[in-house]
Amino acid sequence: MRLPEFEYLAPKNLDEALDILDAHGPDCLVLAGGTDILVRMKNRLATPEYLLSLKSADMLSYIRQKEERLEIGAGTTLSEIKESEKTRPFAALLQAVSSVGAVSIQHSRGTVGGNLCQDARCLYYNQSDFWRSAKQKCHKAGGRICYARDESDRCNATFQSDMAPALIASGARVVIIKKGGRRFISLADLYSSRGEAPISLEPEEILSEVRLPVRGKGFGSAYKKLSYRSAIDYPVASAGVSVMVENGSVKGAEIVIGAISRAPLRLLQAAGMLCGKSAGDRAAIRDAAEKSMDLASAFAVDNVGASLEYRIKMIPILVKRAIDAAILNARQ
Amino acid sequence: MKKVKAQFNINDEKASLFIGPNRTLLEVLREDLDLIGAKEGCGEGVCGSCTVLMDGAPVRSCLTLALEASGREILTVEGLAEENGFSAEGGLDPLQEAFIEHGAVQCGFCAPGMLMSAKGLLLADPMPDENKIRRAISGNICRCTGYAKIVDAISSVAEKNRG
Repeated sequence: MRLPEFEYLAPKNLDEALDILDAHGPDCLVLAGGTDILVRMKNRLATPEYLLSLKSADMLSYIRQKEERLEIGAGTTLSEIKESEKTRPFAALLQAVSSVGAVSIQHSRGTVGGNLCQDARCLYYNQSDFWRSAKQKCHKAGGRICYARDESDRCNATFQSDMAPALIASGARVVIIKKGGRRFISLADLYSSRGEAPISLEPEEILSEVRLPVRGKGFGSAYKKLSYRSAIDYPVASAGVSVMVENGSVKGAEIVIGAISRAPLRLLQAAGMLCGKSAGDRAAIRDAAEKSMDLASAFAVDNVGASLEYRIKMIPILVKRAIDAAILNARQ
Repeated sequence: MKKVKAQFNINDEKASLFIGPNRTLLEVLREDLDLIGAKEGCGEGVCGSCTVLMDGAPVRSCLTLALEASGREILTVEGLAEENGFSAEGGLDPLQEAFIEHGAVQCGFCAPGMLMSAKGLLLADPMPDENKIRRAISGNICRCTGYAKIVDAISSVAEKNRG
């Protein structure tokens, strides 16, 4: 498969990069590790006029430990995150990073920013130009039909990032920059829930940093992924969980379901069922898991492979396992 | 689309080429440099047959722009033997010897990618256990062997490194 033509821009520093984005806006896409965007370009799902490479000066590649938080540059590779001492307390992050693709595909090239800002996916969209030429364009491709959900007036592409649910459950916030400005939002707010454009970034903006709050003793997290194979594949369902355990009872919890909807699903109601309960309360955990399935199943669309029924049935299993693992992690 | 000059350092040899920015490293290796070890099995980064080492770490050459690889050290399967001082008598890398000895090569299509993933692993960890080995090659698909002999071959080199 050949890439389409484009102009390659390699700015020497971040300011130059932001100038370029400001000047070219939607005609210019960012190239970090390239493992998402280059595949889309080969399939002609994206044909930008310019590709902006972040390779110079290891732009945005750093892991900084501050007192109250861990700051990870969006250009930091997955292997750097795995190998750093500073990420040890963040079990869900490490589990999610290890589960992305495979070592030889992404880990030395793929970046956290790239994984968080990947495009939403659908069996009917992520196909070659040739395959798609047999059908009229779907919503995501600029047309007016959805092949995944009959009669739907909008795109139902699924957001399949591994790191997003793990990081949202861990309380992540992100820094977004553009020429002459920056803004700070919770990671959950980065996701629009629109399959056509799942990432809420203006064309001249770039995700520059991920911030994880340091919670200290009693904090535990975990990420469980359901996929066909133990490597290479995207999740067909996933659960990112965190808990804050004090004196044997759960003071706070987060349950985030991934790969089920157009954005990661932050299930406050389900997580709330754990709060105030003992960490050993099996019934509470079961209830939270069942509640997660009820809430998430409304969003599930059959467009990532594996039957819809199976994916939905596995949600409470993933949630239960993630809660158990997070509580174990909290005890360490 | 203007062609750009790019400098490559491949298997310890320098090469200078004028290429369009939309050429991938895999294309340049196979079409411009006659290094046909790396293969295009899928073109989208899921099969592993295009795996080469970039600055010692395994990457997908089909998803790496050639311009992104300029200025970096690239090692392909052709460079494995040279690493140990290639001689006419067949000075192969221990990994290559092991693959032959253990019958880890059938059709051979996955072999260059497998060797490079394995090489990347051993460079970082000379004595990996079986789990680590399986993880390291989890991004390389083989349709022939069922992986057992490949894992055996790599394990035997890890074992040698222990001794």
